Amino acid sequence: MVNYHFGRGRARLAPYLLLLPGFLFYLVISLGPSIATAAYSFTDATGIKGAPVHFVGLENYREFLFMGQASRDNYDALLRTLIFCFFVTTIQFTLGLVMALIVNQKLKGVNFFRTIYFMPVILGAVIQGLIWSLFLYPMGGPMAQLIGLFGLESEFLGGQPAQAFAWVMFVQIWANMGITMMIFIAGLQTIPTELYEAARIDGASSWSVFRNVTWPLLTPVTNTNLLLNLIGSLQAWQLFLVLLGYRNGTQVLGYLIFAQGFGQTSGSVTSSFRQGYAAAASIVLFLLVLVIGLTAQTLLKRREERIIG
Amino acid sequence: MSKKLLTLISALVLLVMVLAACGGSAPAPVAPAASSGEAATTAPAAAPAGEKATLKVLVHQNPPMVEFMNTFNEKFQSKYPNITVDMSVVNANDLSTVTQTRLTANDVDVVDIFGFANAAQPYMKNVTPPNWQTLIDAGLLMDLTDQPFVKNYDEATIKDAGTYNDKVYAINLGRVSYSGIYYNQDLFDKYGVKVPTTWAELVAACETFRSNDVSCMTAGGKDGWPIFVGAYGLTGALYPDQAALVEGLWTGATKWNDDQALKMWEKMKVYTQDMMESGASGIAGDAAPGRFASGEVAMFPGGTWYAAAIDAAQPAFKWGYIPFPGSDNADDNKYLFGKYDQGWAVAANTPNKDAAMKYLAEFSDPANYQAFANAVGFIPTQPGATLDTAIGKAVAPFLANFRVGFEQYWVAPKGAGQYANPWASYFKPFGTFDDPKELADKVQADLQSGLDANK
Repeated sequence: MVNYHFGRGRARLAPYLLLLPGFLFYLVISLGPSIATAAYSFTDATGIKGAPVHFVGLENYREFLFMGQASRDNYDALLRTLIFCFFVTTIQFTLGLVMALIVNQKLKGVNFFRTIYFMPVILGAVIQGLIWSLFLYPMGGPMAQLIGLFGLESEFLGGQPAQAFAWVMFVQIWANMGITMMIFIAGLQTIPTELYEAARIDGASSWSVFRNVTWPLLTPVTNTNLLLNLIGSLQAWQLFLVLLGYRNGTQVLGYLIFAQGFGQTSGSVTSSFRQGYAAAASIVLFLLVLVIGLTAQTLLKRREERIIG
Repeated sequence: MSKKLLTLISALVLLVMVLAACGGSAPAPVAPAASSGEAATTAPAAAPAGEKATLKVLVHQNPPMVEFMNTFNEKFQSKYPNITVDMSVVNANDLSTVTQTRLTANDVDVVDIFGFANAAQPYMKNVTPPNWQTLIDAGLLMDLTDQPFVKNYDEATIKDAGTYNDKVYAINLGRVSYSGIYYNQDLFDKYGVKVPTTWAELVAACETFRSNDVSCMTAGGKDGWPIFVGAYGLTGALYPDQAALVEGLWTGATKWNDDQALKMWEKMKVYTQDMMESGASGIAGDAAPGRFASGEVAMFPGGTWYAAAIDAAQPAFKWGYIPFPGSDNADDNKYLFGKYDQGWAVAANTPNKDAAMKYLAEFSDPANYQAFANAVGFIPTQPGATLDTAIGKAVAPFLANFRVGFEQYWVAPKGAGQYANPWASYFKPFGTFDDPKELADKVQADLQSGLDANK
């Protein structure tokens, strides 16, 4: 006989009733807008209350994917998104792991360094952007003075698009490395110390201990971190807005969606709000995240099963 | 017992959440509608007793204007003690987004709206209407046609910068030029440089300054647009009729890579690479006047709206303002290009219509408007107002040649690439191009791609 905690009769409804508020919240805050975005992507919606909304079929998708040079620019933004994702995920993951290994040691003042490394995470994109805008101020800012010692000068965020793009990558990594590190620390602290002691007794070197004990047992948090880094970097847009604004050669898909939806694409004048078109671009980004996320998840799950069983 | 209690609690929690989600705020009190003829060409003198109202006003960040508005609001509240003005200030880049959001949420009464521009012309195919037009079509802006204060503004302004479908939806507060250059009189005197009236003289002036380790030009490059807007004078010098230029680009009669345009690109390269100071890309738009007023830079290509900020940064600083000498023919360099700047519009659904009309009537009072024009430096749009400031005197000789600029006419065809604009910022160090011919071909190709896609 099944031991059912909530009793019989109407009492069996209790768990469903308890789940319902959360589900309704998810429906209203997350699932609802996602479905609405998919629906909007087939319209010419502007997001302005009262403005007529017309069904335009696949026109927004045709424009985004196939219409003129603008569509080729969109593919460039797509490629840039993938480049951003690759470098940010790789570097942030590696740095997060290295920092976690360092601050997981029993060293003096280690909590102070954990706090320092984690602090950028809590600042928010606007503050992060402001800090780095000031730090990279090309006329006498700290970084300008530093490279000035070597007779160099740079426009930093306002210079060549590739250079500006690289700086946004750097700030993105700086801003989020702390959370990667904390997840790794949590994982490291679940590894039994007996395993390390046994390995040491067997004469294993530090590298062997890492390779054969730490790394395999970190698999669950490794997977979590990789997926979080992948999805977070594919969806990034706030730092592009705060640090660069709408500049040719720097947009990623996330920022392109914002700029199209809120009329930020025409330089000093406001362009039209094209939220139907932006919704179509959102769906394209969603599909990209879905494909990459699912592929990564499948591969990582297989790896986890192989290592941990 | 405990299971029943748990069931009851969970049901109650659900009920409370559903009720909380469905509950709305109490309806806002509706102020009485303005009676006919209440507003006048001069502001009402008395403070009528009436229902208390909080008037929500939205303006964009422009330090001298915000300072004036704070003073004006205090005066207005003294005159109408039952009205409290709640003014929000947002960055100019965010004005449109915030306006839309707050209008949609019925959370604003009076909004700052730039002069109506970028309307779709008959020769433009398959373009999205400008934002202001969508706001009006959606019924979010109030029809001000019959308000007496509208008559305080000159007819051409009301027609060009506030009328749509024969109804007035905004009063525009001033024109600005964005195609001029501020110059530092002391530096010009010190190095014996003549104020340039031709492109060759401008190039020579910059060479003189550079050879004396003085930066030639600065701009608020961090905001992006000040770099290319600063060079719109170059476009204007070569294409004085900017409406015709836009039509020519759409119809194919004008191309961004023909001989005429190539001259413009060659000069833009000189402007970005030889004239603009190193590091200008890091200067914020509202910090650029201060940089110029520091006296370390000889020139500052920028709009007339910067004059007050320059004076505020260094009151004793001596400057002049000239049209950008983009042509080698001095007669071509006597035009000022610009736009209709800030205006006022009212939310159609405002519960504070009476207070909003009083606010606009008070603002439009000739004495108050004159004070505003003096503070902000706009070229006035009230016939009786004058611009009794240094910038007013500087632009006075060119006002007969004032023209609405390219950017106010241009609407890009859908499908056009990201380089389909006459922007100097495409050149290094701000962009990636170094060769004017290569850039000219790219700009035309990006434009042509959009034109072809809409055939």
